[in-house]
Amino acid sequence: MKKLFAVALGILTAIGGFVDIGDLVTNATVGSRFGMSLAWVVVVGVVGIVVFAEMSGRVVAVSGRPTFDIIRERLGPRVGLANLIGSMAVTLLTFIAEIGGVALALELATSVWEYFWIPFTAAAVWLVLWRAKFQLVENVFGLMGLALVVFAVALWQLGPDWSQMWHTASTAAKPGQEAWPSYWYYAVALFGAAMTPYEVFFFSSGGVEERWTEREIPTVRANVFIGFPLGGLLSLSIAGVAAVTLFPASIQVETLSQVGLPVAIALGKLGLAIAILGFFAATFGAAAETGLSVGYSIAQYFGWQWGKFVRPRDAARFHAVVLLSTILAAVVLLTTVDPILVTEFSVVFSALALPLTYLPILIVANDPAYMGSHQNRWLANTLGSVYLVVVLVASIAAIPLMIWTKLGTT
Amino acid sequence: MTAQETALGKIDANLELMDRQVLDNDGRMIGKVDDVELEERDDGRIYVSALLSGPGALGPRIGGGLGSIATGTWARLSGRSEPARVDWSEVASVETAIKLAVGRTTAAIDGFEVWMRDRVIAAIPGSKVLPR
Repeated sequence: MKKLFAVALGILTAIGGFVDIGDLVTNATVGSRFGMSLAWVVVVGVVGIVVFAEMSGRVVAVSGRPTFDIIRERLGPRVGLANLIGSMAVTLLTFIAEIGGVALALELATSVWEYFWIPFTAAAVWLVLWRAKFQLVENVFGLMGLALVVFAVALWQLGPDWSQMWHTASTAAKPGQEAWPSYWYYAVALFGAAMTPYEVFFFSSGGVEERWTEREIPTVRANVFIGFPLGGLLSLSIAGVAAVTLFPASIQVETLSQVGLPVAIALGKLGLAIAILGFFAATFGAAAETGLSVGYSIAQYFGWQWGKFVRPRDAARFHAVVLLSTILAAVVLLTTVDPILVTEFSVVFSALALPLTYLPILIVANDPAYMGSHQNRWLANTLGSVYLVVVLVASIAAIPLMIWTKLGTT
Repeated sequence: MTAQETALGKIDANLELMDRQVLDNDGRMIGKVDDVELEERDDGRIYVSALLSGPGALGPRIGGGLGSIATGTWARLSGRSEPARVDWSEVASVETAIKLAVGRTTAAIDGFEVWMRDRVIAAIPGSKVLPR
């Protein structure tokens, strides 16, 4: 019974924790401009994150070594350092975007200017990273993030023409007024949002925090195989409600309130309130995850003690990195940069950095010295290799498409 | 660098030692194997005599301007000219991480951690409490 409860809790938090500011903004933007014609990318992205999260979860359960530890060991100090700098920059950018997202959610809830909220948000995030236990953060924000199910309810309430929706989605029919380069630019952005590298750093380091062993592999698999696809469905419903309401009205998503607008149309004030709660939980939870991930990756590259399973004084450099990143994030946001714009950059740069993370995982998951009898089998290897190609293509295309389409505005 | 016969069996230093996590006898992470020290014995064979850790060992391996800045800064701040080393006799086991038979104070390869702990982190309230 207790075991069942743990599995159920894991799945629920995996669903509620799946969506972050990148998914919120990108899915709503894509829904409002391209209808459901890019839904296939979300499916491809979710399968990808499932494949690699399962792999990295298995690696950490068997060997006790998290992702960046392995990156350093397999790629050596030079390539590892280049990888660290690239991955860190992207994770830090995502961290900034998430804190900005929390401030935007608070602005929506209180009508108080977002920049007022930034110092408080940053301080609150730091306090959570300093004092709260790992499982507590994961469970509280994961469960609260389930408020985003309101998007699925809103979609059902709006009663769209399902067969029409399915037709657009299954034929990937690009709307006539949009150009192909923009279509592909958003395909890459959506893919980057679904597969963000920090998710794997966080997931595998979390395995060490929660002391996974081989016995936990079935639980990890249940979380990944059930929780992530259901989280992906939330992403799809965010795009779906935008496709049903904003797309016909030619409203383009430029603010977080427009992401929530379809819910307000479908379910009124109460629905919107629940959506805002969901925004807050999703962005705050992801802020904690990305903030930790910055510390995790640096500490794992250099071999420093890290983690929330020890007292802060016993992981001094790790906590110094976390503190400095939080201050930096607040400072950057207080320059009055638009958090939505930061989010757009973060998902595209995520796509750019993807191969750096996923190649080493695939290599180690095939190493008998690390994995023993838990080495990759044919299915994981086939999917892993196929995805490596997809990830590489997305990575190469990301920057040219961004420049060509001027951030998708053409 | 080649395989060596040790009390721990034959190991490939390049594959099984380099860039691995080092844990003290308490299981705490205290550094990486940033390089190894080799020694030629009377039988003409080369053995790993110590693990080297920290910027003093990592800098030269990164190379270039960045590497020499890292090593130089570390040398000035720590006042040492040779990289921090852990004698091979203090290594307890070589698995997916290298476990030492000694504590972190004896190994003394994480000076920066100690500095950061005593000068910065210890000053923040709650630093001695396990996260709840």
